[in-house]
Amino acid sequence: MAASVRLLVRRLVRLSHKSVTSSAATVSCRPGCCLGPSSSRCFSDAAEDRSTHFGFETVPEAEKAKRVYKVFENVAQKYDVMNDAMSLGVHRLWKDMLLHVMHPQPGARLLDVAGGTGDISFRFLDYVSYQQERRKRRAAGSSQTPSWQDISDKYPTDDRPQESRAVVCDINKEMLKMGKQRADSMGITSGLSWVVGDAEELPFDDDQFDIYTIAFGIRNVTHIDQTLQEALRVLKPGGRFMCLEFSKVTNPVLAKLYDAYSFQVIPVLGEVIAGDWKSYQYLVESIRKFPDQEEFKGMIEDAGFFCVRYFNFTGGVVALHSGFKL
Amino acid sequence: MAALLRGLRAGRLLRGLSSVVAAPTSTTPQCRSLRRGFHCAALRLQDESKSDKHSASSSYSSSSSSSTTHDDYTSQQDSDPSSGDQEQDEDYETEEQLQARILTAALEFVPLHGWSMEAISAGAEAVGLSSASTGMFTNGAGDLVLHFISQCNSKLTEILAEQHNEVQLGQAEPKKTADFLRDAVETRLRMYIPYMESWPQAMSILLLPHNIPDSLKHLSTMVDDIWYYAGDRSTDMNWYTKRAVLTGLYNATELVMLQDSSPDFHDTWTFLDNRIQDVTNMAVTAKQMQSTGQAVAQGLLGAAVTLKNLTGLNQRR
Repeated sequence: MAASVRLLVRRLVRLSHKSVTSSAATVSCRPGCCLGPSSSRCFSDAAEDRSTHFGFETVPEAEKAKRVYKVFENVAQKYDVMNDAMSLGVHRLWKDMLLHVMHPQPGARLLDVAGGTGDISFRFLDYVSYQQERRKRRAAGSSQTPSWQDISDKYPTDDRPQESRAVVCDINKEMLKMGKQRADSMGITSGLSWVVGDAEELPFDDDQFDIYTIAFGIRNVTHIDQTLQEALRVLKPGGRFMCLEFSKVTNPVLAKLYDAYSFQVIPVLGEVIAGDWKSYQYLVESIRKFPDQEEFKGMIEDAGFFCVRYFNFTGGVVALHSGFKL
Repeated sequence: MAALLRGLRAGRLLRGLSSVVAAPTSTTPQCRSLRRGFHCAALRLQDESKSDKHSASSSYSSSSSSSTTHDDYTSQQDSDPSSGDQEQDEDYETEEQLQARILTAALEFVPLHGWSMEAISAGAEAVGLSSASTGMFTNGAGDLVLHFISQCNSKLTEILAEQHNEVQLGQAEPKKTADFLRDAVETRLRMYIPYMESWPQAMSILLLPHNIPDSLKHLSTMVDDIWYYAGDRSTDMNWYTKRAVLTGLYNATELVMLQDSSPDFHDTWTFLDNRIQDVTNMAVTAKQMQSTGQAVAQGLLGAAVTLKNLTGLNQRR
């Protein structure tokens, strides 16, 4: 009783501050909050008793999922426009770097969790098709004048199902709808599927995917370790887990500028462009609540991944963590 | 919390085991089940006493066919009694071994794909892992080439050690230095023959700036090994000159081999013979020059003294 009253009061305080959250280049949000790694997953506790953070607020775990869903329902329409506005277009570079580090081989299967509007999946399909084109050109170039025998021999190899496939999984139907519209406008017809699913309970069998990515989504899940366990489950042996997420800025000067920009500029942009101050305030606050690079690396290792490394982009504003299921 | 995670991990591994058993068509069921078996063994071992360890490992050894990884596991269990990080240590050791396994498998695909990430991904798939595991190799093709070079060096060291043993046991005659060097260089260069078409690409990869320290290290250790088994125990300037000479010899012969089209690289071995002859001649010439030089110096000294006597400078007043 007292707890719920406290929550009400906090919520009123929040509303009066008119906080807005924005996520620069958030692909989609995972429902749930990230508990501190010290909290244990005791199954004896009821979910309502355990609370977690929603931005700088404290909410019951069960509620966080709903509130995050609402946030992304509201921002889905103007999501891509806001990403470009808030990060000044730099989020495209971050995602390109993710693909560059991933370096997918043709025939790889990608699971893009919290994939929302599909940024990563589109880039993945482009990259793989480009690689295949290059290989075909190299193979054709090496044999200057192919005989009819060579050409006829190559025909069956082209039919080989070596196309890569990307599956975009998101809990939020609005974000997936936006993504599907984008795919249609870009003219992508094959190699892409859209699935509604919860990152903590993926609707896939074990050992299905070569690469699992979650870009700017893992800070929105309720239980990060559960998400990591699910990632381990659906990956094939040798599969790679990649997580792109906002992280701790290493340079103190840059950190001050970044903080000022996050709390002063981004909510205003959210209000002006998308008409939603609160959502973008939540997203900026959720960045601050996420563990830093080393801590997150420890969590990934605890989940059972090997060769875990991270790369800092833009001085630590964004970090790319990568681990292998061996 | 940790026990819960371990239990979950055990559950996942058991699921993995069952899935492996249920899918007999997977490419390398032995390797995967072996590894998972070791994971299971490692988990159980953390709770059981040391005496049970050896029995568990020996039971797994009897069921497996490939025993190399297993031997390393047992040796680690003997040398790593700390139970806290034991599973982690064993897995980290296996990480490098796993990488070595992938690269060895990738060597088969080099004639098809060249020295590149495609060969490594084909190798990963041959071992039974997804092609995404090539992300482990941050140096890409350089990793593959360096792995191959170090493999060749270890093979060479084994062969030289065996020959050395035979000489020690009296089963073979000790070779002369020139012959020994010639045979060692020929044995080492013959290991490149299966990859000869793509070897220029490999050499260019080794010359990339970030690969130069590693490739130089491999080259110098190989030359050092050859000279050690040739019987060189020098501790003066000769140590450096001998190794420099052999390095030059080896590199020159390798370059000749690249563009050699004679049957069984006959021209290359002839070139090698001639260069070793040159080196031997130069050694002899150097000695002769030294003695001649000494004689000439003495003669000049005598002439100078005579001159001084003639001019009367040598007189003491």
